[in-house]
Amino acid sequence: MPVTVVVPQLGESVVEGTIGKWLKKVGDSIAKDEPIVEIITDKINIELPAPSPGTLGQILVPEGAVAQVGDPLGVILAAGESLPSGGAAAAPASGAKQPAASSAGAREPAASRPAASPQPSAPAPAMSGAAASRPSAGTSTMGTATATAPSTDGMRLSPAVRKLAKEHNLDVSQIRGSGMGGRVTREDVLAYVEAGTVAATARVGTMAPPSAQPSMQPSAPRPLAPIPAPSFSAPGSREVEVRPLTNVRKRIAENMLRSRHNAAHCSTWDEVDMTALVELRGRLKEKVKTQYGLNLTYMPFIVRAVTRALKEFPVLNASMTETEIHYKKYYSIGIAVHRDQGLIVPVVHDADGKTIVQLAAEIEDLGKRARAEKLTLDDIQGGTFTITNAGMFGATASTPIINYPEAAILGVHLIQERAVVRDHRVVVRWMMTLVVSFDHRLVDGTPAVMFLHRVKELLEDPESWLLDSI
Amino acid sequence: MPTAIPVYDLGRVPYREALAFQRRAVEMRARDEAPDTLYIVEHDPVLTVGRSGHPENLRAGEQELRRRGVDVVPVERGGDVTYHGPGQIVGYPIVSLGSLPGGRDLHRYLRDLEQALIDCLGAFGLSAGRNPPYTGVWVGEKKVAAIGVAVRHWVAFHGFALNVDPDLSHFDLIHPCGIRHLGVASMASLLGQAPPREAVLARLAAAFSRVWDRPVEYPAALETLASATLQPLTSHV
Repeated sequence: MPVTVVVPQLGESVVEGTIGKWLKKVGDSIAKDEPIVEIITDKINIELPAPSPGTLGQILVPEGAVAQVGDPLGVILAAGESLPSGGAAAAPASGAKQPAASSAGAREPAASRPAASPQPSAPAPAMSGAAASRPSAGTSTMGTATATAPSTDGMRLSPAVRKLAKEHNLDVSQIRGSGMGGRVTREDVLAYVEAGTVAATARVGTMAPPSAQPSMQPSAPRPLAPIPAPSFSAPGSREVEVRPLTNVRKRIAENMLRSRHNAAHCSTWDEVDMTALVELRGRLKEKVKTQYGLNLTYMPFIVRAVTRALKEFPVLNASMTETEIHYKKYYSIGIAVHRDQGLIVPVVHDADGKTIVQLAAEIEDLGKRARAEKLTLDDIQGGTFTITNAGMFGATASTPIINYPEAAILGVHLIQERAVVRDHRVVVRWMMTLVVSFDHRLVDGTPAVMFLHRVKELLEDPESWLLDSI
Repeated sequence: MPTAIPVYDLGRVPYREALAFQRRAVEMRARDEAPDTLYIVEHDPVLTVGRSGHPENLRAGEQELRRRGVDVVPVERGGDVTYHGPGQIVGYPIVSLGSLPGGRDLHRYLRDLEQALIDCLGAFGLSAGRNPPYTGVWVGEKKVAAIGVAVRHWVAFHGFALNVDPDLSHFDLIHPCGIRHLGVASMASLLGQAPPREAVLARLAAAFSRVWDRPVEYPAALETLASATLQPLTSHV
């Protein structure tokens, strides 16, 4: 049956609107809920969603014309339908507040709308549990409404009430009217529907407890004696504290999964002799503290080594789309920061152009602001490569998740004295495990290993290249 | 407890990018992939022409405007011609109308936007009000905030522009909202000096919280923004 699109209730004081623009032309196919026409009232322009799928059969009100609430605007035809003679005979489709849901429920065959029932979770026994003469709201959407709708002919009802009753498959003569002369109002119908639903649900509850599985009962063997359950009554023994997910945690989860789903993760690692850098940093630490008031960590050195190596292996600083590789000619390094609120990765922009002291200042500042939740959008966007330091809390190795869509992430770890072999002798050196996780779709194993080796070389011999960095 | 509405201050964003961003955010909100959110931006000088737009309300020709670096963008919101530029707080509430106390009531939504702006201005000692039939917020005969809204899938987008300290001479480019006989003012012109942007945003968030009867979180930590929402914005960063 053709469905007429009408101007829905748009607000208490809204009685009319101007047709702004038809977003669909006659003959265009329409998906359910797709915007089809704009209505302008005051300074709001609302796009009216299609109450049902089909094709636009007719436009009844042209652009720029004014229409009253309830006026028919156009007609949607389902597949195979044509306009009825006379044109305006189509059933009105607007529900007062839910034009889409109500009209779809009343008109389409059940088979064609698998997910349209607003109460999909209603248990099956509700059908038999509810009194046949007072179907619950849930049953009215099962596709039988039009077939069995009781007649409301002969009663004094407003069109809206008549329609509402039909939608819910109600016999209006059963409803006590509170309007003038006992007239049944919209509120009466809604109250009746609500009461019916509640009653039906309650009866289902007594007939079939939610935990029972009726289909298994006839053939199920007589149950054996229950196995004694462990006692959960001891205080604290099985306590679970439930807390809502914070937004930060939700985003972290999203980002991690997005990376895992989209990138082909692969990790490779190497041992780095940090002895020279430990000594160098030891010499500079006090000076930087007194002169700049900064704590000099290893991170600025690692950032510089990384930006140098990235320039030699540009694919590690790239990202990919389905059809392209984007080689970024700038080196903005994200540094994962642990916080109680959850992980965050602020970005040191254009890190390759900054001195060790500048990097130390910026990293310290980003860390502080990350913990104080004072980062700006700029601070957390536009990174090209990420470094994460699991060593801060003692880890000697890890396999980090790539900060997607970047191509790779470097994991740095605990610097500790280990026994290593140099010139056939066992010596004690400051060692660190360095891990790179890379997206194997974009980065082959060779450049990944060579990149990691280059970072290792730079860190093992800092004085060879740091002179032009300070 | 109702869920909080985060307020994200995205800073200066080119208008067309913000528009693409909004359209995307609407779809995400409609699919329940993002919460009700208030995005705050600032734009470079731009004239936007709403669905009720009349070209004659542009005082300079479009070619002339483009030559002067002022973009002209037709948009789907209601209303006529609006100017956006530096010194304005432009707010885009991407909210599902059904989740607000007023429900799916378009005029109520407009009145609620006005009320929040009126309350915010009141917090700075400005006695602002409505000026029926013109939507917007006024101090005396002068307009301080413009409003224009669009609704898709019952999710509102576009929103309001509050004049904190814009160059008022830029409004000479248009008859604001097609209203020829009334003027334009800013918080700075009314108070003698511009209040800090953050202070205005904090008052605004408090006002929206009262009007919508929901916690409104300002400033919301930017990292809580769904990264997918941000995609269209990243190109200029």
